[in-house]
Amino acid sequence: MKKTDRHVRRLGMVSCPTGYTWANVKAELRAIWESNVKQWKIELAYPLNFIRQCISPVIFLLPFLIYGLVLIGGRYSPNLEALIGNGDVVTFIFTGYIIMGFIGTAVWAMGFSIRNEQWFGTMESIYITPTNRLSIVLGTALHSTVHQGISTLVEFIIIYLVFGLALNMTGILPAMMIFALMMLALYGFGILISALSLVLKEGWIVSEGLHSIMMILSPVAYPLLVLPEVARQASFVFPTVPGLIGMRMFLLQDYKPEVIGNMFLALLLLDAAWILFGSLIFRLTDIYVRKRGSLEKY
Amino acid sequence: MVHIDDEHDTYSIQTVNLTKAFMKKRHKGIFGFLRKNTEKEKSKKQSSEAVTIALDHVNLKIRAGELFGLLGPNGAGKTTLVKCLSTILIPDEGTAIVNGYDVLKETTMVRASIGLVVGGERTLYWKLTATDNLMYFASLYKMPRAEAKNRVNELLEMMGLLDRADERLEDYSTGMRQKIAIARALLHNPPVLLLDEPTLGLDPTFSRQIRNQIQELCKDEGKTILLATHYMYEADEMCDRVAIINNGQIVAVDTSNQLKTMVREKELVEVACVNPPLGIEAELKALCSDVDIITLIHGDEAQGKPSRIKMIGEGAEAHIGTVIDALRKRKVQITSLNIGMPTLEDVFIKLTGGAKLTEGGEAQLGGQEAQ
Amino acid sequence: MTQSSLRSNYFVVWNEIVKNIKFLLAYPIVFVFWAIFPIFWFIPFILQGQALVGGLSSQAFAQIAGTPEFIPFVVIGSVLNSYVLSSLYGMGESIRREAYQGTLDYVLASPCNKSFILIGKAVSESLTSTIFALSQLAISILFFGIALTVGVVMPILFILILLILGLYGIALMLAALSLRFKQAHDLAHTLEYVFYLFSPVRYPVESLPLWAQAVGKLLPLTYALIAVRSLMLLKQGIAALYIEVLVLLVIDTALILIGFYLFNWMENKTKKSGIISQY
Repeated sequence: MKKTDRHVRRLGMVSCPTGYTWANVKAELRAIWESNVKQWKIELAYPLNFIRQCISPVIFLLPFLIYGLVLIGGRYSPNLEALIGNGDVVTFIFTGYIIMGFIGTAVWAMGFSIRNEQWFGTMESIYITPTNRLSIVLGTALHSTVHQGISTLVEFIIIYLVFGLALNMTGILPAMMIFALMMLALYGFGILISALSLVLKEGWIVSEGLHSIMMILSPVAYPLLVLPEVARQASFVFPTVPGLIGMRMFLLQDYKPEVIGNMFLALLLLDAAWILFGSLIFRLTDIYVRKRGSLEKY
Repeated sequence: MVHIDDEHDTYSIQTVNLTKAFMKKRHKGIFGFLRKNTEKEKSKKQSSEAVTIALDHVNLKIRAGELFGLLGPNGAGKTTLVKCLSTILIPDEGTAIVNGYDVLKETTMVRASIGLVVGGERTLYWKLTATDNLMYFASLYKMPRAEAKNRVNELLEMMGLLDRADERLEDYSTGMRQKIAIARALLHNPPVLLLDEPTLGLDPTFSRQIRNQIQELCKDEGKTILLATHYMYEADEMCDRVAIINNGQIVAVDTSNQLKTMVREKELVEVACVNPPLGIEAELKALCSDVDIITLIHGDEAQGKPSRIKMIGEGAEAHIGTVIDALRKRKVQITSLNIGMPTLEDVFIKLTGGAKLTEGGEAQLGGQEAQ
Repeated sequence: MTQSSLRSNYFVVWNEIVKNIKFLLAYPIVFVFWAIFPIFWFIPFILQGQALVGGLSSQAFAQIAGTPEFIPFVVIGSVLNSYVLSSLYGMGESIRREAYQGTLDYVLASPCNKSFILIGKAVSESLTSTIFALSQLAISILFFGIALTVGVVMPILFILILLILGLYGIALMLAALSLRFKQAHDLAHTLEYVFYLFSPVRYPVESLPLWAQAVGKLLPLTYALIAVRSLMLLKQGIAALYIEVLVLLVIDTALILIGFYLFNWMENKTKKSGIISQY
């Protein structure tokens, strides 16, 4: 085979940053940002839908709160206090439920980011660009995270006004750090789901299933101790578990240094595991769908 | 080992034994897994019927600056070839070199070298404006923001849509959306354009505008353009060279005029008629058994496009009388008779042994001739 | 109505049912999903109850709900709520789905009475909802200790029919609005929220503020839930529930009449404006 110089062409010149160069990183970051902006523009084209989605977390939180209050005939649960050292049902449930929307970021928003492009008909147009597809997924993640942040703020305001919340305000910053670590792992999880949704015709069932399982195995509305031992151990594969345990320790002022340390470590390990695993499956799935030729099929 | 032909060193697109097959999916119904396969189903599974060969060892060379037509009916493999070249599809065998980059090993650079335009309505975000759409895709082509802004305005002006730049695409007509799709393909000024039926579904006015634009891009800007189409006249009028593809195989590659010489004058007779009866094709084949190809192409009488009986092969001219007598006996109205002026359609029919064309291709051909 | 037109209308209903069920069976995994998965949605409430109360029953709960058994209370709410979901997203969105598939024009241009098409859609949705509900109930009986005696089966079926009729009216209204407003999916979600919050799906309606109770008392699901729980948990007879039954009948009649009227009105309106088949 005759050698040809791949970097000098007598044909059309193209300039495109590639590899681990600062120019390429900047370009990919810009693609993530623009993908996020695009999602916002499309979402705000349906303003009623946007408002509804900002309110819906409260709609699904309220039954947990009302049900809890009715069960014990008030706000304080002696049994809850015996389990975790804090008997305030409303604050406990609220601090758990705020992550529900962010689970949705992973399993729904990120999970269906590429799939939705199939629905729009823009999938192939995006795939033939030199930008990494992960940037598209991360752009959706950014949009969804901000969106959930807005919803969480709305939730906080409504629940605070209606029920009152006994939160440790000095614990918010360290809780946000734990939250950030949890979100990194959830992003990895979301990348995995986005890959699976390309391959599985009814990928929404996987998303719905995982969402429900995470809801059951995470200490959202009840402490982890309520679960059987086997389920408790298995639940630590989800970043929401150490995330919630750690966040509540700061927000409910229930510091246990050795536990917080373990939760930080668990989150770091989960971050690495889910991001690597998710990215690997994403890459393999990309090759698989391109071989199968099912990229544009919705 | 892939041998890249550098003899001319000006090939913009080169495919080497490009092969792609798809498995046919069988739907047995919800309780199908309970049923045992019948013998027929078992043998079908093992036979070639289970696999569709979309591309069969395709070898093509397209020179830089060439407007190259890929002509074939639906299901011939045109879109599959375009998808392989644009890295959307990974071939089973062989490879392709686009702008000097291997589609399998250097996919990022291939993507930076190509612009893709496909026919069909939904390839853009309808809830975004034209500017928003183009700016977004500019970011995916890794263009700096300032450069992207200038380029977007330049392209919108080229397309005559600058004054509607801030309207949502849902308010655009189909033709205008297709112009934006072309603008998107040109954002990063790629040296290679892949066009897969870009005028599909467009009215004659927009189709003409887009064809003119394609020719200008090739002539004035020196872009290499691969135009996949089933419209014969598009390939005939526009392309420097044409490849005819059928059942995943390239059956001929040459200039349009050279291809037409494959059908000699004495070898072609076309009889246009109205409402030919059922069975007429079989009857004529029996009467003129020594003619290589006799085929009936149904027209659309409601639209004023008659059906056509084509005879291609040695002795076609000698059987004119037989055909006319047979049609008159069946009281079929004959509207015209054409002897020895082959079109690409005739070349296609001859090379593919009488394979039928799609209704869309024929209808458009008729419409274009009327223009 | 002649015998042949009756037969052809029956044919329309039958084919609509067969078509919808075939669609569902084309996705067997979806079928299995809806038969089993809604159970996962109420498990957190059971675990929450155990965490807060430390057992399987609560006297505080009994003071409002009339029964200390919160697990059967939640299970019944979830099973009946699945009818709401299938009405809103199944029947209610069926028109939108026809538009998406591109078949709406042809359906509406056909000479048959559209009411029978809608009846067919409603019946197929009800059938599949009942299959899913029975499946969920069977799993609940096996795993969550729900007791179901033979004597309550027929009264419960009667209440379910009344519930389905009322939901049918709401689904008709939703289908009507989806002819005109292409984002009817948001409306379906909003209605789902209304049912979820104001009906006693997870908690007794008496635990809500008065204004919220008033909203709840307009919804057919509220009375259906009260009736079914009274039959299963409080061991009351159907005769004792005559108020709930009467109110359900009145609500059903109103909802169905409004639904049919709205659908016909919207169909004519959108046919005139030409946007009927736009998706």
